[in-house]
Amino acid sequence: MNTVLEARDLCKTYIVNKRQNNVLRNVSFSVNEGEMIGIMGPSGSGKSTLLYTVSGMDKMTAGEVFFCGKNLSAMREKELAAARLEDMGFIFQQMYMMKNLSVLDNIILPAVRAAKHHESNKKIAQRGRELMKRLGIAEIAGNDINEVSGGQLQRACICRSMINHPKIIFADEPTGSLNRTSSEEVMEELAKLNADGTTMMIVTHDVKVASRCGKVLFIVDGNIKGEYVIDSGANLRDRERSLNHWLMEMGW
Amino acid sequence: MYRRIILRDLKRKKTMNIILLLFVVLSAMFTASGVNNIMVVERGLDHYFEEAGMADYYILSHKSNGRDTVEELLRNSENAKAYQKDDVIFTSEENFKRSGKKLMEYSNISMVQSISDSNFNFFDENDNVIDHVEQGKMYITGAVPKRSDLQIGDKFTLKIGEINMKFEFAGTLKDALFGSEMMGNPRMLISEEDYKKIANDDQVKQYASGSVYYIETDNLSALQSEIADAEDIYLMIDNDTVKLSYFMNMIVATIILILSIGLIIVSFVVLRFTIGFTIAEEFREIGVMKAIGLKNNSIRSLYLAKYFCISFVGAVVGYFLNIPFGKMLIKSVSENMVLESQNSAVIGVLCCVAVVLVILFFSWSCTGKIKKLSPIDAVRSGQTGERFHKKSILHLGKTRLKSTAFLSINDVFSQPKQFTIITAIFTICTVFVMVLSVTANTLGSQKMLKMLGITKSDVYFLDSKRITDAISGVKDVDETKQEISDILAENNMPAFVYIEEWYNLSVTANDVKYKTNFVWCKDTKTTDYTYTKGVAPKYENEVALSEMLAEKMHVDIGDVLTLNIDGEDKEFIITALFQSVMQTGNVGRLCEKFEIPGNLMTGAVGYQINFDDDPDEKIISERIEKLKDIFDNKNIYDTCGFVNAITGVSDTIKSVRDFVLAISIIVIILIAVLMEHSFISKEKSEIALMKAIGFRNGAIMTQHTGRFLISVILAQIVAAGLCVPLLMLCIDPIFMTMGATAGIEYQFNVLEQFVIYPLIITATVVISAFLTAMHVGKIKASDTANIE
Repeated sequence: MNTVLEARDLCKTYIVNKRQNNVLRNVSFSVNEGEMIGIMGPSGSGKSTLLYTVSGMDKMTAGEVFFCGKNLSAMREKELAAARLEDMGFIFQQMYMMKNLSVLDNIILPAVRAAKHHESNKKIAQRGRELMKRLGIAEIAGNDINEVSGGQLQRACICRSMINHPKIIFADEPTGSLNRTSSEEVMEELAKLNADGTTMMIVTHDVKVASRCGKVLFIVDGNIKGEYVIDSGANLRDRERSLNHWLMEMGW
Repeated sequence: MYRRIILRDLKRKKTMNIILLLFVVLSAMFTASGVNNIMVVERGLDHYFEEAGMADYYILSHKSNGRDTVEELLRNSENAKAYQKDDVIFTSEENFKRSGKKLMEYSNISMVQSISDSNFNFFDENDNVIDHVEQGKMYITGAVPKRSDLQIGDKFTLKIGEINMKFEFAGTLKDALFGSEMMGNPRMLISEEDYKKIANDDQVKQYASGSVYYIETDNLSALQSEIADAEDIYLMIDNDTVKLSYFMNMIVATIILILSIGLIIVSFVVLRFTIGFTIAEEFREIGVMKAIGLKNNSIRSLYLAKYFCISFVGAVVGYFLNIPFGKMLIKSVSENMVLESQNSAVIGVLCCVAVVLVILFFSWSCTGKIKKLSPIDAVRSGQTGERFHKKSILHLGKTRLKSTAFLSINDVFSQPKQFTIITAIFTICTVFVMVLSVTANTLGSQKMLKMLGITKSDVYFLDSKRITDAISGVKDVDETKQEISDILAENNMPAFVYIEEWYNLSVTANDVKYKTNFVWCKDTKTTDYTYTKGVAPKYENEVALSEMLAEKMHVDIGDVLTLNIDGEDKEFIITALFQSVMQTGNVGRLCEKFEIPGNLMTGAVGYQINFDDDPDEKIISERIEKLKDIFDNKNIYDTCGFVNAITGVSDTIKSVRDFVLAISIIVIILIAVLMEHSFISKEKSEIALMKAIGFRNGAIMTQHTGRFLISVILAQIVAAGLCVPLLMLCIDPIFMTMGATAGIEYQFNVLEQFVIYPLIITATVVISAFLTAMHVGKIKASDTANIE
């Protein structure tokens, strides 16, 4: 199985008021193709920082990150932007969208920007609609972003993250702003995408969300304190129970 | 606690608060200087005339052999309440020399007079009344010494008659009566002792002595009728007409007034927008404050206190900046006028207080939205889900545009209010420059010839010496033409020379007597000129009048006028009306077939030369340079140069246009920079999102710059459409007061007005916006996690 993402001795340090804050300390892990990996840990442990650093959105202080064999730390801003545009997808806790664009336009924006194989905007829009249909939000394509519910918006964000057929999707608390029903619907969709072969790295507080992953990393104070591989054959309830048990052992 | 919240807010939202502060500074500066200038300009001429001690009516007369017919008439007049007289000696540029060369270049008759006999206030360049001139020193009116680069302390000689006296230039003076560009008769002030020496010369007594009368009257028309028969009069002019002669200054003043109003509007519009915009962005704080139980009024007072702090500091800074800025604006008007104290502290302070109050009012009205915001806004990042207005108008999937271009266009159309404001500001700036450019072009163009009532010729020679000789009777006017013609022939430039002669004649219309100027040229035909109504005078007893003169005399085409010519009454039929800015619009034209005695001539614009070989423009230009050397006179022009020299304002308007362009560029830079800063601040989350999904800095910068580019292009289109209506609205009335009653034909330079200036403005906007947009580089993709 190919390794999509590999972090080696990753460090991230912030200087706040002349005080050094080591958010990530020598973090090493890898994500294989088709894997769905969950990152858990208490607040302030460095989960989101890890996600933003390994995705090239934030600069690392030390260490190396390899994305599809390419060293992210050696890439220029231009190359990083191209990698984020064409090979990575992002889902945020806040459903960030461009306020002046309709839901469909928000979804297809990265594809129009990338314009792979000189695909016309019309064809891209058609792909966007198909994705929306797949995620059950086809009816809100022409709506403005403030005309739809949080769950619909987050599903639109998933569509946007999918539009360029990324090699990996990074999700930062994808269900953090959603109610329980919406949360389950969104995770169902993410699980389906993973089942279709999309690699995912999800930062979450929610055991229900993490239990859908194949592997969970537990971070405390910028270190990976433990790694738990979830039994892929077990049902969702058992996965959740075993993960909970492990997390309690880790001091969750 | 409030104090702590405000201080923390000021510190935390440094960028937006600084932007707001800058706009307050601009508003205070523009308002204080604008209102000051409006008041100064509005009262400008009245104040100047009051200070100078102007009367109701003025006569400039020539003494024939020491006999003063005007004074005899005035002494016995029932309508002249009082009069005062300044004795003057008529001179021309030929009389003043430095190292054997002409000291100054000017075309009109000048006057030397004694400071001790003066019944009129003259001012130095610092607006102080000149009450004493040392022996051997001389003050000279306004622009003439400046044009000739005369410095205080420069020595020169005055040679007139048998007199050859040395003088030192003491400084420039401001003369309310003859100092305007249109009157353009320089006056020289010297000491009593020096004046007596010159005045006692026999030749001076015979040919060059005269008087300026300042007459007080309650019945101007009766006085005019009474003295209409006076002889040897160069000029009779009433106060209103003298005011009109300052119309070129008033054009500049009006432009400054409009500019000031424009700047005030721009600053307040931007201020209102910025306040509304910053408050709208603070839904989170407001929501949180409401959530912890603060009442609407408490929250409102918190914002009002913050805006008061900013506006107070901005107003104080703006007040101090308004003083140099206001002076800079009014400088071009105050050069040959004495204006009221040019920057009143009281008005300045009042304006700044008004700005603070207006800001508080804006803040009060904008904070009205606080009532609508609820704690849920803090939770839902301002998205309550209750707003259903459509934002997106264009659809990415339906266009062929690239993402960046689409986002720019979509943003402009999705936020019409804010981009309309920006477009309106760019439009105001562009249209100002366009209107001024067209005005400057028109005033220096051949189209003004029609307005001056002059036919086109190859060369125009403003030879004040020969004209003075012709007026004073030293030479016959035909003799002077022949002299010039002979010199041209000797220098292998055979040409036909002619001159438009002016005659100040007594006219009776409807039993009322007037004294007015008539133009006559025996070498042109009346059909060569343009008329607004009627048919050109064909016979010797026919005459054409300017529309203003006809209105003044209550006559029209077909009416009969009686002209007193050399003591004999002759009747003339009015056959046509025309428009003219010469003689402040009051002028008539006699038919070339009418024979008028040359000794009655009282003035002329200049000699006109048409070369026999019909040369092209290049050769004419070369010949003009040669003629300047041959005649030792720089007042030789082609058509545009002549128009410029006569109106004397084209260059001033051009410098005002350049000044307005500079101000516009500064305003545009400020608006583009400050607006883009606020956009970046407002759209931080979107910028971070765009970066997260793979947009590069360059693409985001292009998107942001593109929005300004669209605004400025729209502004250029609107400005081009508004140019003509605004010319008609603002500039036509000024020309109308001067005699262009049928409107003026504007001279457009498409390349300059519709290509070069719009390009300068567009480039300024694009560069400013792009450089400011570089700040998007400071926002990281990972900021999506930190955005409030």
